Amino acid sequence: MSDRTFAVVGLFHNATDLMAAIPRVRAYRLGTVEAYTPYPIHGIEAALGLRRSPLGGMVMLAGILGCVTALFFQWWMSAVDYPLVVGGKALFSWQAFVPIMFEVTVLFATFTAGLGMLLLLNKLPFFGHPMLSSQAIASVTRDKFALAVEADNGTLDVEAAKTALRAAGASALEVLFVPAEEPISLQSQFRTGAGILLSCAVAGYVMYWAIKLFPVVPPMVHMEDQPRLDAQRASAFFKDGHGMQQPVEGTVARGQLPYLIKTPFEAGEKLVNPLPRSGPVLQQGRVVWNQHCGVCHGALGNGVPMLTAAYGAKPANLLVPPIRDYPDGKFYHTIMVGKNAMPSYAADLTEDERWAVIDYVRALQRAQNAKDEDFK
Amino acid sequence: MQPEALLLPAVTIPEPLRAPAIVEGHVTPGSLDDQVLQYPARRPPAVWYVALAFTASVMILGFVLIGYTFYMGIGVWGNNRPVFWAFDIINFVFWVGIGHAGTLISAILLLFRARWRNAISRFAEAMTIFAVMCAGIFPLIHVGRPWLAFWLFPYPNQRALWVNFRSPLLWDVFAVSTYFSVSLLFWYLGLIPDIASLRDRTTSKVRRFFYTVFSLGWRGAASHWQHYEKAYLLLAGLATGLVLSVHSVVSFDFAVSLVPGWHMTIFPPYFVTGAIFAGFAMVVIVLVIVRETMDLKNLITMYHLDVMNKVILTMSCLMGYAYVMEGFTAWYSMDEYLHHIFMQYITGTYGWAGWLTIACNVLIPQLLWMRAVRRSYVGMLFVSLAVTVGMWFERFVIIVISLHQDFLPSSWHIYKPTLVDFGILAGSFGLFFTLVLLFARVLPVIATTEVKPLLPGAQPAHAGGHHE
Repeated sequence: MSDRTFAVVGLFHNATDLMAAIPRVRAYRLGTVEAYTPYPIHGIEAALGLRRSPLGGMVMLAGILGCVTALFFQWWMSAVDYPLVVGGKALFSWQAFVPIMFEVTVLFATFTAGLGMLLLLNKLPFFGHPMLSSQAIASVTRDKFALAVEADNGTLDVEAAKTALRAAGASALEVLFVPAEEPISLQSQFRTGAGILLSCAVAGYVMYWAIKLFPVVPPMVHMEDQPRLDAQRASAFFKDGHGMQQPVEGTVARGQLPYLIKTPFEAGEKLVNPLPRSGPVLQQGRVVWNQHCGVCHGALGNGVPMLTAAYGAKPANLLVPPIRDYPDGKFYHTIMVGKNAMPSYAADLTEDERWAVIDYVRALQRAQNAKDEDFK
Repeated sequence: MQPEALLLPAVTIPEPLRAPAIVEGHVTPGSLDDQVLQYPARRPPAVWYVALAFTASVMILGFVLIGYTFYMGIGVWGNNRPVFWAFDIINFVFWVGIGHAGTLISAILLLFRARWRNAISRFAEAMTIFAVMCAGIFPLIHVGRPWLAFWLFPYPNQRALWVNFRSPLLWDVFAVSTYFSVSLLFWYLGLIPDIASLRDRTTSKVRRFFYTVFSLGWRGAASHWQHYEKAYLLLAGLATGLVLSVHSVVSFDFAVSLVPGWHMTIFPPYFVTGAIFAGFAMVVIVLVIVRETMDLKNLITMYHLDVMNKVILTMSCLMGYAYVMEGFTAWYSMDEYLHHIFMQYITGTYGWAGWLTIACNVLIPQLLWMRAVRRSYVGMLFVSLAVTVGMWFERFVIIVISLHQDFLPSSWHIYKPTLVDFGILAGSFGLFFTLVLLFARVLPVIATTEVKPLLPGAQPAHAGGHHE
């Protein structure tokens, strides 16, 4: 307890007396006059000259902020960062965002009302207020009303305040002092800091192991942990100890028919292009061409590619005879086994892609050697 | 209460419109404190321990069965294809609904200046929080792997996914979690001045420490009350919108789907009405027990119970209207699926549940037209228990009957709950009443700071705005 006076407090037994006393005590202009009451009193703000609470405006702003935040995040998540069409709805289907906008508006507004009132306006929690250690507080939170003349700028004429309160009808007068501020020692600062560090370290260590071990404790295991046989794992079930068995001899996987043709001539005679020269096929062919072929043979198929300068061999020009007149099967053979410096593309292209790109080559050839009837 | 003064200028209320006194007998602020705040300091009677032992045992049974469900998977429940939603969602809707009465009493009745609410608001708000806690359990355990339930929230994750904001189930996550947070805040704000009163009257050092911490150093300054009252009024206004939205969003879980019997525009108001209905019944049950066992007859008066019963009666009539409208919609839609499901409600395998719902929710509450029933314990407890049962079965009818026969007859399936289902339902009641019992002994069950300003002579005589 320091010797600096905080306030002089007097008690009243009912609200009427309190209200009558407020203007009389305020008239002395000794310091800030504050009342402490067990419940809210009608009209006391005006009597004490308190300013209107700014909470309404704060809550309004927070509500608008909540609404805009919810709208913004829902738009960004649903339409920008993860644009997934659900149920055929537009990506920014704002009607569906309204419920969450409303909830977030209420959430922001209510917490601003509650915590803004407590923390910002009332400066609570605060356990060091002199009133809390006064004699009067027990009556104030029960059924009595206290009126306090509080020091402005640290100065208060205690005797004058007592006289004013007594004249206004207060009883049980009490002088409250500002609590002494004891400097915090270096040792205790160090101890607190070390305690915080140690707690963080322990908490971090525990969290590390908890997060590491929790997912493998039954039943928290994830879905990939199932009692099934994985392909590359050992198993005691079969004689050879392999989890996955070899297929029956001569088994052919889908799309993996062996290519048995030896020469380009044989291919030219035997193989027929199964795909029609339709729009989608040519589209697919163009994609394949640009991805795999055009780099060397050129975007137009004329053997003048982007890589000419750095590339020693000369890629074939597919637009001139005799290559132009090759049957489809001969092209297919070249794709499958390669030719000169060109490697095999059998592993890179599917059956359909090979035929589609051949169709596209035909289109390129036709485009560069257009006949009269093409112009219509 | 001060918010009244903030809302409207002072008026003189004509004699016939004046509400009866909120308390009976001679009550002063001091005697109110002595009466209400004595309980946290007193050793509870033996019957309280017996009751707590019972409810806690049931609660533990429920939690053990939940643990069993986690370990075995939700196959231990009766849920099947196509009845994917059953007891868990019924219980969720049931408990969320119970919670709504508390917010209605604390927020909407505050705005309507129904002063009688001040005596029962604290208990009703506490029940809201406990009911929402019970409700929250069920969607969590229904997801099957509840340790991953945080996936429901939109947070940046290494899967680079976001949740689907077009789903009513996600709206539900936001609505229920917002509702719980706001209810908790509202309840706590109301408690702060009461905890300060407890702090200043207790002699035990340990209690004093906790009361000091939780009262945040509240000192009753007029400048604080001013902001406090404003905050309380704003919270009431916001919670009013919130409470109406929460059960509407819960009803969207059904109404936004295409299941016949769910896809109806009447669902949001129908659900909100049902929620208030069931919640008031639960509040009446608990209030009767509290009033008798804690000797609060002069504070929770027959007038309060009478008014509560009138609200129940009103809601019952609205429920009857909703049921009739459901039938009318089924007939008028000329949709054969809807027609079929509605006939299942009253004539199918579970037709008894449909009739039980109508009897408990519409017919039995009509007894409350009689003043004698509204003012007798037997009468009001009978009606309230019937409503509680009826409202649970209403959700059973909506969820199970609508699901068990969907569009494709080949997938129709009869639903049978298992013992685990019943055990978890019982466990949620155990949790609710355990929390109620603990609350009744640890915190002030009546909001003393809200009742004090309504006592005779509590407000300054010259203010003129004194509504007595």
